[in-house]
Formats: sequence, C-alpha cells, structure tokens
Amino acid sequence: MNTHTTLRAEGFSCPSCVNKIEKQVGRLDGVDDVKVHFASSRIEVDHDPTLIGVDDLVAAVGKAGYTAAPSAF
Amino acid sequence: MSAVRRLIRSRWSIPAAAGALILASFAVSGLVGPAPAGALPWADVLMIAAAMVAGTPIVVSAVRALRAKVIGIDLLVSVAAIGAVVIGNHWEAAAVTFLFAIGHALEAATLNKTRSALAELVAVAPDTAIVLRDGSQHEVPAASVAIGETVLVKNGAKVPVDGVVEHGAGAVDEASITGESLPVEKADGDQVFAGTMVTAGVLQVRATGVGADTTLAHIIHRVEEAQDAKAKTQAFMDRFSAWYTPGIILLALALGLIMQDVVLALTLLVIGCPGALVISIPVAIVAGIGRGAKDGILIKGGEYLETAAKIDVVAVDKTGTLTEGTPQLTDVVVLDDTYDRRRVLALAARAEAGSEHPLARPVLEAAAREGVPAAGLPEHTEPVPGKGIVATVDGRRVAIGNLALLQAENVEVDERLATAVDRLAAAGRTPMAVSVDGRPVAVLAMADRIRPEAATMVAGLHRAGVRRVVMLTGDAARVAAAVAAEVGVDEVQAGLLPEQKLAAVRALQAAGHVVAMVGDGVNDAPALAVADIGVAMGAAGTGVAIETADVALMQDDLRKLPQAVSLARRTVGVMRQNVAVAMITVAALLAGVVFGGVTMAIGMLVHELSVLAVIANAMRLLRRRAAVERAKRVESPRPVHTPLSPSSVEATTLSKEPS
Repeated sequence: MNTHTTLRAEGFSCPSCVNKIEKQVGRLDGVDDVKVHFASSRIEVDHDPTLIGVDDLVAAVGKAGYTAAPSAF
Repeated sequence: MSAVRRLIRSRWSIPAAAGALILASFAVSGLVGPAPAGALPWADVLMIAAAMVAGTPIVVSAVRALRAKVIGIDLLVSVAAIGAVVIGNHWEAAAVTFLFAIGHALEAATLNKTRSALAELVAVAPDTAIVLRDGSQHEVPAASVAIGETVLVKNGAKVPVDGVVEHGAGAVDEASITGESLPVEKADGDQVFAGTMVTAGVLQVRATGVGADTTLAHIIHRVEEAQDAKAKTQAFMDRFSAWYTPGIILLALALGLIMQDVVLALTLLVIGCPGALVISIPVAIVAGIGRGAKDGILIKGGEYLETAAKIDVVAVDKTGTLTEGTPQLTDVVVLDDTYDRRRVLALAARAEAGSEHPLARPVLEAAAREGVPAAGLPEHTEPVPGKGIVATVDGRRVAIGNLALLQAENVEVDERLATAVDRLAAAGRTPMAVSVDGRPVAVLAMADRIRPEAATMVAGLHRAGVRRVVMLTGDAARVAAAVAAEVGVDEVQAGLLPEQKLAAVRALQAAGHVVAMVGDGVNDAPALAVADIGVAMGAAGTGVAIETADVALMQDDLRKLPQAVSLARRTVGVMRQNVAVAMITVAALLAGVVFGGVTMAIGMLVHELSVLAVIANAMRLLRRRAAVERAKRVESPRPVHTPLSPSSVEATTLSKEPS
C-alpha cells in the first residue's frame, strides 16, 4: 500500500539540487518514485509508509543539504 | 534561538567571515609589506583562511553531489579554488570562494522572493477550524472537518473550508482567491472559500470542500504545476547548458594539458558554471505566474504565457460575458391614455405571474422594484410558443408578446405600436407588445444589461496590444450590434450556433491570428478548446475550470483580461532579456579568457553578477504596477441603457427613479 507525500523545501537555488535530492531520496528502501520540482521547490515521493515514514524522507532531504517540511497538499 | 546562534546559522555569516579575513589580509600586507623571509606570511595565511571559511561548505556540497553522481557547479568551484591554493594564487582562491558564497546567499534570498507569491498562498491555508458538534464548539485541524459539518468563523478569522453560509452575515476579504481587496458581503446561501478572511460579522458555514479539495488548494496546485511546466524556450536553454558545462570542463582539461597553463584551465572551470543560463527562464516564469496568482489570474504554464503574449485577436461571447446574462425590463412605453406606467406594470406582472415566459421574471422584478403591489395569479394563462402568452386577468383577455401574437389575436397594429416596437428593436432590446381585449395598450422592452466594465475591457485589450476584439454570439444581429456599439468591439458575428463559433475561431486562426476565446465555458466549450488560449471567467469555486482553462480568471471581472494579456507580454519580455543577459555573459567571459584579461576572480564576479541581474529582472514582475491600480480606481459604472430619445415615443426607463 503506497502513499504519495508532498514535501515543500526551501532554498533551491540551482537546478543541480534536483538531481541531488532525487538520487539521495530515490535510493532509500521503500521509495518507489521521487520527483523534484525546481521552480516550485516541491518534492513528491511515492513510498511505502511501512518501510519509510515521512520523517525519514525529510531527514534524507536534509542529508542532501536542504530543509523540507511535509505539506497537506 | 539565541542571537549568536542565529548569526552563525544565517546565510550571511560565512560570506561575512570570509570577507573580514580577506580585508584583514589586505590590511596586513598593506601595513607590514611583504613578510620577511623565515617569518610566517600572515597575509597569505589570512587569505587561505578566508578561502577555507568560504570554501568548506562548497566542497561539502560538491562531495554530496558527487556521491549522488552529479557533477555540479559546486565541484567546478571547489576544483578551481583548491587548484588556485596549490599553485599559490591565494587571493584568487579567496576571491572565487568568497564571491561564490556571497552570490549564493543573495541568490537564495532573492529566488525565494520570486517564489513568494506561492509561499503566501500556501501560508494562507488555515490550520484549524472551529466545528459545531452536538451544539458545542471544538477546535480541530482544518483538514479533518467532514463534508456537511458546520464550522464557525468569527470576525478576524480565516475561513477554514470551502462552504455555504448557513447562518449569519458578514463581510469577507477574498483577496487570497480573487485578488480583489474590497470585502464582499456574505449572507445565507452564499459561497465562501477556504483561506479568505472574515472582516466583519460571524458566519456559520456548512463545509462543501476541505483540505486538498478547496478552491485554494486547486489554485496552489495549479500555480505549482504551471511554474514547473517548461516553456519551449526553456527546453532549448536546458539543452544548451547540458552540453555547455561538460564542454567547458573538457576544454579546460585539454588546454591545461596542451598549453601547460594551469591558471587558464582553472579560470575556464570558473566560467563553466552555467548559472544565469539555467535559471534565466524559470525565474521569469515563476515570478510571472506568481504575480498573476496574486491578482486572481491563473495561467496554466510557461508555454501558455508565451502563447498569451502573442494574442492579437480576442473572441468574446456576448451573453453572460459582455452582458450580465439576466435580462432586465428596460422600457415601458404607454400607448393607451387610459393607462399609466404603474397600471401597465401591474397588469403585465399579474398576467405573467407563474408563467415560464422569458419576460415573466424581468416584469415581476420591475413591478416589485417600483412598489407596484403584486395582485396574485391570473385566472388562466396560456403560453403561445415562439410568440408570447395570453392570460385572463379579472375577466379581460391580456396578450403579451411579439407582433405575430397580436396579429393572431386580431389586434390592429397601428402606426404608434409599430413605430415603438421598431425603435426598441433597433436599440438592441427585445420588445413585447401588450394588448387588452384586442386593444394595444403598451410596449414593454427588455435587454440583457451590459456589464459596466465591458467597454473598459475592450479599451484595455487594445491598449495591451490586441488588434481586434471580435464578438461571437448566438443572439440576433440587431441586439448584437447594439451591444457592440456600446462596448466598442471591432467586429460582430451574430446568429452563431456553438459549432459555428468554433468555425469562426478556426477561421481567425487560419488567417494567421493567435486567438484567445473568452466565455463561461458552458456552451462555448468547443470554441474555448480550439482557441490558442481559452479563458474561463469567474473560476473561483469551480475546480474544473481552474484545472482545465489555459487562463482562469478567479473573479467575474472582465478587467482582469487585459491585465492577463499585458502580464504575459511583460513576462515573455523578461524571459527574452534574461536569455540575452545569460548568453552575452557566456560569450563575454569566453572571449575574455581567450584574449586574456579575465582572471578567476573577475570570472566569478561577472558570473555571480549575471545571475543576480537575471533574478532582479524577474522580480520586477512581482511589483504591482501603478497603472493597474489606477485602472481599478478609474472604473465607475456608466448607465448602460440610455433612454430612447424623447422624440420617439414617451419612453421612460427604469434606470430613472419612478416619479
């Protein structure tokens, strides 16, 4: 059972952030798909909540060097 | 967080520290001169320290990127700076890292500004709601309110859900949705939107949409999708920068090896940073679309901005777009001296009461407005399809309809009657003759009221560079021509069926025009779909229109359309300027390196300046222009139905106070 989580990040200043985060989050267990939008600084993740929670996603984005917070929509 | 920690965590602390060290180094070398042999060269030590302070975060970021198999701008700068330290160019290393750090901090701050419109929209979404359950108030998360529950919104609070006012009255500031800052009066049965603010009164609202299913969430979603959608121009820029950076790296390696010139190679690395190239278009689009969202103008994406900037013909539906879509009684022309205006209205209202005739509602409303007492239903009503109605009122036979009906009723159409009907029709109104027991007593006329801002819109479109405004309508030619004259459109095509509207749009496109179509989206749907830009009016509250229209105007206000066109033109202008700045920077730096004169520090300075110039240029779009504000204030509704000239018949209009 997969869920779709949207995170809003702050401080995307160059499009290379996109690849960084996509790779950093994409290789986690339980993440099926991750899409990073540069212009609106959103991170959309399809993941299995039993394997990886929203907090873990935020931490992974943090490891790539960016602050993000989950968003209701 | 303490002030010290805030300073350390602030984005400006690293550039400030590095800058201070660089200044200290200059001070030491200026005061002490070259270090004596054997002593510690303090000036160099300070420079290296500056490079390390500014450079460490860059190197960390580069390593992170490498671990994710990304060769980013950070890596180029890191290699260049480390290389400069190795060959003893301490000043260059410090300058490059310092400029990069300060430029980066500025970029982050300003880029977030360009995204501010979206951030504000997200911030507008209320977190909590006060729900009435079993008669008591509970504070719950806004997203947990169930459809159909009642929420209480107090004065000064934000409406937490989309819903309908069940109880109470108040004024609501809907700027976050429509861009209109004047509060709107709300009473029972009115629609309210999540994220709007109650500025007076208390409302009980029955929830019809919560969380991701509110108009605000649709708008946010739409704005994000739009900002992320890539314009054609951007695809080209992306391709260009995709080969530019690796190309420069290879060139630097090759030149460094062939010419044994490390400085040249490192300088090339610095100017290989594709800064302004990559963001020149996204910043313009983000700022332009964000600006639009703030004004209640939603544009589907960069692609649509580019198309909207090229619009030269706007096709407009008449009924419901240029006009209000609800006919009003405009004239009561009394033909029989034994009657007066009030008596005619009373008779007509009585005859029309309870009928389906198109004139029924306008007549009843007019009678109510003029204080003519409603006297109940007629004894008998009989609709005559395509002609009017015949009713029995107090034993008299009353016919209301077109001349064909009166002829069928064997009423003699004398010259006064014929003239009155003719003049009213020529003025673009729909005349209805009234006869009592076979004698003509009056002519009534109704018209669909032209919106007060319609003429302003047409003039505004012309000012915004649209060459022709074309009215497409299914209505009769005479009515259409009267509206066209009032509003100032350039061309009228009347009597069109929906598929003929579509053909008209296609014909305009075949003639080489870029066509925008404005309509209510119901019977114009095909024409809206085939136009280059389909514009939906008054989209607030209809999620479908927000998601599908190329341009959605949240408010039912025609004046937003010229605003949208000029915003599109300005945004595309900024895009072009930004691309030019980026390209000229690349060319100038390459030439500067090849012909000498551009050092690493100068290269980094020019690079950062070009990035900031591009962002600053985009930020111009976010500023509200005085002209827009002026246009909003100038608007004062003109009387839309001028009375016919007195020489015609003793015409009186309802726009005057009843004597």
